[in-house]
Amino acid sequence: MTSLNSIAKRVLVCAAVGLSLSASAQTQPDGIEFFEKKIRPLLAEHCYECHSAGKKTKGDLALDSREGWMKGGDSGPALVPGELDASRLITAVRYKDKEFRMPPKRKLSDSQIADFEAWVKMGAPDPRTGGATFVKKEINIADGRKHWAYQLPQKQTLPTVKDAAWPRTDLDRFLLAKLEAKNLHPSADAAPVTLVRRLYFDLLGLPPTPEQIDAFVRDFSLSHSPNLTPAPAKAGEQAGKRESENGAVVRLVDSLLASPHFGERWGRHWLDVVRYAESLTLRGFVMKEAWRYRDYVITSFNADKPYDRFLREQVAGDLLPHSSIPQRQQQLVATTFLTLGNTNLEEQEKKQLEMDVVDEQLDTLGKAFLGQTIGCARCHDHKFDPIPTRDYYALAGIFKSSKTLEHSNVSKWLEFPLPMPPGEDKQFAAHDQAVAKLTASIKAAKESANTAVAKKATLPSGALAAKVLAGIVVDDEQAKRVGSWTGSSSTKTFIGEGYLHDANEGKGEKSLTFQPELLRAGKYEIRLAYSPGAGRAKNTPVTIFNADGETTVRVDQSVTPPIEGRFVSLGQFRFEQNGAGFVLVGTDGTKGVVTADAVQFVPVEKLAEVATATTDAGKKDKASDPENVKKLEAELKKLEASGPKRPMFMSVKEENAGDVQIHVRGSVNNLGAKAPRGFLQVASYGPSPKIAEKESGRRELGDWLASRDNPLTARVFVNRTWTWLFGTGLVRSPDNFGTTGDIPTHPELLDHLAVRFMDSGWSVKKLVREMVLSRAYQQASVIPHSALRTPHSADPENKLFWRANRRKLAAESIRDTVLQVSGQLDLAHGGSLLKPGTSADYNYKHTDTRRSVYSPVLRNSLPELFEAFDFADPSLVVGQRSDSTVAPQALFMMNHPWVMEQSQSAAQKLLAEQLTDDRTRVARAYRLVLGRVPTDGEVTLALKFLPAESATTEPAKRTEAWGRFYQALFASVDFRYLN
Amino acid sequence: MNPPLPLTRRHALQSLACGFGSLAFAGMTAQRASAAANPLAPRLPHHEPRAKSVIFLFMQGGVSHVDSFDYKPILTERDGQLMAFNDARKIANSGKREESSQRVMKPLWKFNQHGQTGRWGSELFPEMARHTDDLTFIHSMHTEGIAHGPATLFLHCGATQFIRPSMGSWVSYGLGTANDNLPSFVSLSPSAGNGGPRNYGNAFLPPVFQGTGIGKAGTPILEATIRNLTNPKLTPAEQRRSFDFLQELNAEQLKKSPGDAELEAVLASYELAWRMQNNAPDTLDLTKETDATKKLYGIGEGKTDNFGRQCLMARRLVESGVRYIQVTYGDNTANPAWDQHSNMPKHKDHAMAVDKPIAGLLQDLKARGLLEDTIVWWGGEFGRTPYAEKNGTGRDHNAGGFTVWLAGGGFKPGVSYGATDEWGHLAVENKVHMHDLHATILHQLGLDHEKLTHRFDGRDYRLTDVHGHVVKEVLA
Repeated sequence: MTSLNSIAKRVLVCAAVGLSLSASAQTQPDGIEFFEKKIRPLLAEHCYECHSAGKKTKGDLALDSREGWMKGGDSGPALVPGELDASRLITAVRYKDKEFRMPPKRKLSDSQIADFEAWVKMGAPDPRTGGATFVKKEINIADGRKHWAYQLPQKQTLPTVKDAAWPRTDLDRFLLAKLEAKNLHPSADAAPVTLVRRLYFDLLGLPPTPEQIDAFVRDFSLSHSPNLTPAPAKAGEQAGKRESENGAVVRLVDSLLASPHFGERWGRHWLDVVRYAESLTLRGFVMKEAWRYRDYVITSFNADKPYDRFLREQVAGDLLPHSSIPQRQQQLVATTFLTLGNTNLEEQEKKQLEMDVVDEQLDTLGKAFLGQTIGCARCHDHKFDPIPTRDYYALAGIFKSSKTLEHSNVSKWLEFPLPMPPGEDKQFAAHDQAVAKLTASIKAAKESANTAVAKKATLPSGALAAKVLAGIVVDDEQAKRVGSWTGSSSTKTFIGEGYLHDANEGKGEKSLTFQPELLRAGKYEIRLAYSPGAGRAKNTPVTIFNADGETTVRVDQSVTPPIEGRFVSLGQFRFEQNGAGFVLVGTDGTKGVVTADAVQFVPVEKLAEVATATTDAGKKDKASDPENVKKLEAELKKLEASGPKRPMFMSVKEENAGDVQIHVRGSVNNLGAKAPRGFLQVASYGPSPKIAEKESGRRELGDWLASRDNPLTARVFVNRTWTWLFGTGLVRSPDNFGTTGDIPTHPELLDHLAVRFMDSGWSVKKLVREMVLSRAYQQASVIPHSALRTPHSADPENKLFWRANRRKLAAESIRDTVLQVSGQLDLAHGGSLLKPGTSADYNYKHTDTRRSVYSPVLRNSLPELFEAFDFADPSLVVGQRSDSTVAPQALFMMNHPWVMEQSQSAAQKLLAEQLTDDRTRVARAYRLVLGRVPTDGEVTLALKFLPAESATTEPAKRTEAWGRFYQALFASVDFRYLN
Repeated sequence: MNPPLPLTRRHALQSLACGFGSLAFAGMTAQRASAAANPLAPRLPHHEPRAKSVIFLFMQGGVSHVDSFDYKPILTERDGQLMAFNDARKIANSGKREESSQRVMKPLWKFNQHGQTGRWGSELFPEMARHTDDLTFIHSMHTEGIAHGPATLFLHCGATQFIRPSMGSWVSYGLGTANDNLPSFVSLSPSAGNGGPRNYGNAFLPPVFQGTGIGKAGTPILEATIRNLTNPKLTPAEQRRSFDFLQELNAEQLKKSPGDAELEAVLASYELAWRMQNNAPDTLDLTKETDATKKLYGIGEGKTDNFGRQCLMARRLVESGVRYIQVTYGDNTANPAWDQHSNMPKHKDHAMAVDKPIAGLLQDLKARGLLEDTIVWWGGEFGRTPYAEKNGTGRDHNAGGFTVWLAGGGFKPGVSYGATDEWGHLAVENKVHMHDLHATILHQLGLDHEKLTHRFDGRDYRLTDVHGHVVKEVLA
């Protein structure tokens, strides 16, 4: 607050100075006349619409009073009387600066601009005093804190309820109290078959098998059979029965929480929130190492890693202390969180790109961890929430202090080697050493080869036909010429008939384009053949246009080319079929003759061949032989291909730590005051962690986030958990706890759960356990028709949770269940499923049968089922998935080959089981798919559809018919919902 | 103000969303099938619309305006000379606003005046030139994004970097659907590259507003259909039997919760899918067209066959009440079709493939009286530089100035609006930003771009962000 005040003071001082400067102009009546005649109409017509205190004040600038322009807007005072070049208003109307032009739609006429200039020159006389002065509205943090979400969660006293018998947990008491206040009643308990299915899907994402259903129902009903509990009094009997039933539920819940499938289900929830994906939309780049983060998340949920630590690791795992290598690995992989944004790496303005990346990180972190739309404060103070732009840039400074991308035409994310335990590290270290050694000998061999070449000792000189060379060769004859080029064969070593040179004239006007025909997609080494010599250009620009952009290499043509005395390698590049692949030799900025002989495109997989072939043909095998270089290079390639691959992970790197300046209106070209790194003021209680000057501050950010003094963190996560289990949140906008979000329906309960969550050591499993063991969670979701009237009208949206919400089965559970029923589901854990050699995600074929959480999340090629059934958009923070019922889902179930194949497999499996008759088979299928027995009506329909048992049907036909029966079950309404 | 669906009820309404069409399911009460329950139900526009549908002919990669519709004689006069230009790529890469020396390159096709209006057009598009008097040219377009990826996203979604709904989704969101058996927003042969599905994606709008891709770039449209529209194995009779069985099972399941609108919506979605399965192929089936019509579009001729089919399909979709149709001429590479960084003459190959089909489309729409309320929009994500890229044989991207044309839908025919500088490099006169073009097209559809908003995570979003002005001067 102090610094904000001081900024305000400085503005005042400036304004005062401005006032005294313009005082003299005030006294000139001619000036006033000029203003009235020329300037006032101009301002009124072209400026007031957006810049007047009465209407809009874009950029916080008002031009309808003298005070307005003297104070100026976001970018400072609008004009300095007498000084044209220092006056932003003049700059703007002159239309010279592309980024800063006013009026925005059309340039003023030259005479109008001249009028403005004349006015400023004469001291900007302006009689409009005492007009409505626009005062910039500043965010008052203390006022902002009054919003419920910014106050610290408080320990709550339990409410009293009338129906003391109903609540099973404290949670229930909070809910019941609200219901009673509205004269509503909770629904009946869900039937055990319904409850067991709900618990399996909610905790594991998998359906219970018929055997698991039976086991639970038996436990549930046996535990209170008269044999075990001697006849008690009536009320006591009820209570005793409930207690023992609850015992069965507790046993089931505890076993599910201990299952390794728990992390697969709950990890996926988290992956929705952090926009997890394994590729980028643009160019479909595949992030090969992203899966490690997915496994980290699953492992963390399975291990019940305290949520506060979980957050710290994702924000700053690389900066945290560790006591073992595996711990270090986990913490490093956690930071992949920061790099998963769907970034547009092609953005050419890299300054802009960096701020966009920071913005994405901030936006994700804000919504995911804090339920705050921090991104709204990038260009101006948040319009609704107490988040000033200064807070945005205080946080932005933290992220800007770590490098996220390596820039080039298409920038690239960063990957680092994962540290390994000493034992495992040995093989990598040995390999690295071997690579280093070979690299060194190649370097030495190259140097000596170059010397040899220079001496022309071993030069295979003379003319060489293009066709004897490997790969695709574009000779100078075929090059498209711009400007005049001279053909020559004076120097005797060349490809084809000779070479071209620019005669050292017309620099910058000439070029040669070497465009290969029918280039197949792949990676190529690009080599330029030129004719060297003493008078040749030392910096010939050669640009390679390839699938990943363009790269310009400067070639020194005064030295002999290192490869066979003919070619120099320009590097390896990726090309697309029918893409724009070509090499352009320019003369721009060169001194000396530019020559070009040919360009060779060698497929990288042929490089070793090329090397071996020439080595065999070589006369000598000495270290000084240029052929030796090739041999060594081939060896290196082989070694790199065969050696152990050091595991890599995606992360960021601390670099150039420091504060950033406020970007006025979000522009990288309009920088304001520095914003010292820090956190959201409105959500800060007690002293904020101090950020050391040379560090990014991510560690401290983690501390601030994961603190009990942060009013948002625990509440947001507790509400997410509630949303995942109950279908809607206590706050129904799980990603937005700001003033535009929903207010909690049960603020006391939210606080109660948040405080307990923190008290429990931020244990997610305890939190989930507490919720699913509540009686509220275990209510029936189906509304008995008779009970419909009263509760429905009083709370039709079920905001008070008078019943369980019927929910859609998640896309993953649909797929996993189909695979489980068909017998194809592979329950293995972890690892990357991305097919080797996938470089772009376009048209990726998903063929695996692992659990859906492991299916590669490819932004251009999601599994079709995911797309159809409301999978989370992997570019956005998704706290609650869409819930749609659309025709493409129906078409998928009716016609997709995968559904049909799985249905056939399911039929085969069913028919192979030892079952007495079709009626039993129908029942079995219902239990496998829907977790319940069919009604009589359903059995009748099924038997009518299936071929009669008595009929002699070919086995294949029979299987087919049962397959179609299964397909109908998968397509049915009941399969899509979880009751 | 949109959204007409209050936020608090959004969730509930989404779950009632029944896909592409109406909730016409036997047994449903009229009340439940009402507009409020179906987000795709036709919705009142903000003002009287001038057009019902949009066909966007997307020339992916960026057509050279100085070789086609923006006539700059000085380029021929100064051909080959080195001149100083503000090259956007150089400026972006260096961060310095400095002029650089570039070699002026003349247009490779001869310009002539066409029609009553005498507008200039080159021999690159001789067929389109015949329709000059029907077209509204905007020569002062400028946009964001120097590379294809950002600029393509900006073209479709109004943002280079962020995840935003595409224009067709906004239109469906604002107006609902105008047909019962088809999607409201279709993308014909969309490219997988440069944003791929995001270019017809709903982003944070409800999923019903997602565009439906038909076919994909690089694959003949002849083989294209809506996903899962046909069954790979079963005969029509078998399908009917399976479908009837499924709906009987569903009806049986519904007996437990009679009158449950949410569950009934699932059944309705199956009914709609069934109708689509039976009707949509007809719409996409071009064999029903006369030979004369096919010929008009260049169907059956090698070069024009594929794009001709796309254009004819677009007309059939318009007739069936589809609101927004993207027709892509492009491919899946990082340097799509029109992207002639080298070998400028290659533009002619692409022109040959699209020229006749587009002229045919205009003629056909006009003859059928469809052009009046259909906006045809022709253009790319940007134009190309008036100078040679790196003194080579092609032109680089140019987001600072380029040309698009529009036809029908209440645009003023024969108008030429705005201008680039004398070189055709940067828009200078009556500049029209891509946001402005978006605002103008929405305006013609009866939508106010400032009112067409959707609240997402606490903020009201628009296609035009906080920008955009309707260009009234080009409207009839």
